[in-house]
Amino acid sequence: MAYVSAENVSLVFPLYSRAQVQGMSSDAPHDDRLILANDGRVLGVKALENISFEAKSGDRLALIGKNGSGKTTLLQVLSGIIPPDEGCVNIRGRSTNLININLGMQVEASGHRNITLRGLAAGQSRDEIERRRQDIAEFSELGEFLDMPIETYSAGMRMRLNFAIATAFDPEILILDEWLSAGDAAFKAKATARMAEFVGKAGVLILASHSRKLLVENCNKAIWLEEGAIRATGDVGELFDAYDAETSRDSR
Amino acid sequence: MDAHPNATVASEPTKVYSAQTKGGIASAVEDLWEGLKRGSIWRAFAWDEIQHRYRRSTLGLAWIVISYVIFVLAITLFFSGFSSMQSGGFVAYVAVGYAVFGFLIGNVTDGCVVFSGASTWIKSSSLPYSIYIYKSIARSFFPFIIQIATALVIMAFFGWRPHWSGLLAVPALAVFLLNAIWIQLFFGLIAARWRDVAHLVGALTRVLFFTTPILWVFEERTGIVRQVASINPLTHFLRIFRAPVLGDVVPLESWYHVASWTVGGWVVAIFLASIMRRRLPLWV
Repeated sequence: MAYVSAENVSLVFPLYSRAQVQGMSSDAPHDDRLILANDGRVLGVKALENISFEAKSGDRLALIGKNGSGKTTLLQVLSGIIPPDEGCVNIRGRSTNLININLGMQVEASGHRNITLRGLAAGQSRDEIERRRQDIAEFSELGEFLDMPIETYSAGMRMRLNFAIATAFDPEILILDEWLSAGDAAFKAKATARMAEFVGKAGVLILASHSRKLLVENCNKAIWLEEGAIRATGDVGELFDAYDAETSRDSR
Repeated sequence: MDAHPNATVASEPTKVYSAQTKGGIASAVEDLWEGLKRGSIWRAFAWDEIQHRYRRSTLGLAWIVISYVIFVLAITLFFSGFSSMQSGGFVAYVAVGYAVFGFLIGNVTDGCVVFSGASTWIKSSSLPYSIYIYKSIARSFFPFIIQIATALVIMAFFGWRPHWSGLLAVPALAVFLLNAIWIQLFFGLIAARWRDVAHLVGALTRVLFFTTPILWVFEERTGIVRQVASINPLTHFLRIFRAPVLGDVVPLESWYHVASWTVGGWVVAIFLASIMRRRLPLWV
């Protein structure tokens, strides 16, 4: 059974005095995500604060939040890329993340070569990669482009290939950042179908996005992140509407 | 991107990510071991990068041999007056010394970018960090071996003949690889944290080329040059490989130096990794 949980996860991004806020000191009012030294140097940014949640087999979790609310950082922590400063993450099951669209893409090598390299990096044997190659090629619809270097691909083509590879090796936990919304309508429908199939096999899906349609079609639960902390949790449709109502009021 | 080759395993152990999981000596050693086991990954990536470097050139990988031969022959032509050695002996001396120096120093300069150059991977995949180290070593070891083979051909042309004592150079190669790991780990970490390190290293390597006995012969020198060279670890690393190939005896003193650097380097690098590794994705 696939399982993901976070217990009181907190993380500060250290800045090592790379930034200084003009005329600022630690006692003056400032954005409370910034951790300042007495002379106004920015020591770090609180990226995540006290995040706790649990997702079990079949859960499809949406991450909602403004830019800079900590969605990608949380995905990186859940994927074991950045260890949290406090708290811990528990993962059971093979997890695959698609946080960076260009991950593992050797841009000067061909699409086929990239399937091999990415497959190896995911811990698959060469035999297993060959067995899945046809499926990846079909799903990505790249055809003869797979023999061309990745640097000749458009962003959408790279995304299709990356998604096809990431989902080819039966992940149990799939962690996706919002770039999936870069695909065209036909591909999104296909990706949605594949994700539904995967979640049906008792997987866990965690998807960050700004697209209501994408989230509602793929997820059931949702977490609303604000300034690195959980603002609310609940049903994906209701939570997105509440979030949307507030952000559109702010922008008016 | 975690590796679980067997897709049918039903109950997998729970993985825990916390402040402790990437800190400490045990996890630093585990990272090096886990990375070493995934040879198929770093070999494939190293080979890909080697090919990429020469992909669009007509002569391709032959450039490794050509540029090496040009350098060795030009240097020997211009600098053979530096030594009282017979011309054939000096060619062999320079050819082997230059290749070894290139490999060892290459691990320092490659080490400075081993993690920062892999930043996309480090920020989006949970593979062991040591994979990037092994990839980097494999990528520079390949041209090094080709250069050594070329050197032997050049030397044979000048009258050098292989001898059983030359086999003593094989353990030296193993020692080089063992040292390459800590060198890249050490420089990779500190150069990721402090960006000035790469510039400093770049400046020092040019100096090292002249203070290391490559174009001049250690045994023929006296005074300050000899003193500087005898505390320069590269002098001793060079010797443990070059002397057996040329049919000379390696002074025991050089093995002492090499052994101390190997042990000391590993201890320092593992210690650094145990305290710095956790922060790496935030630095690169």
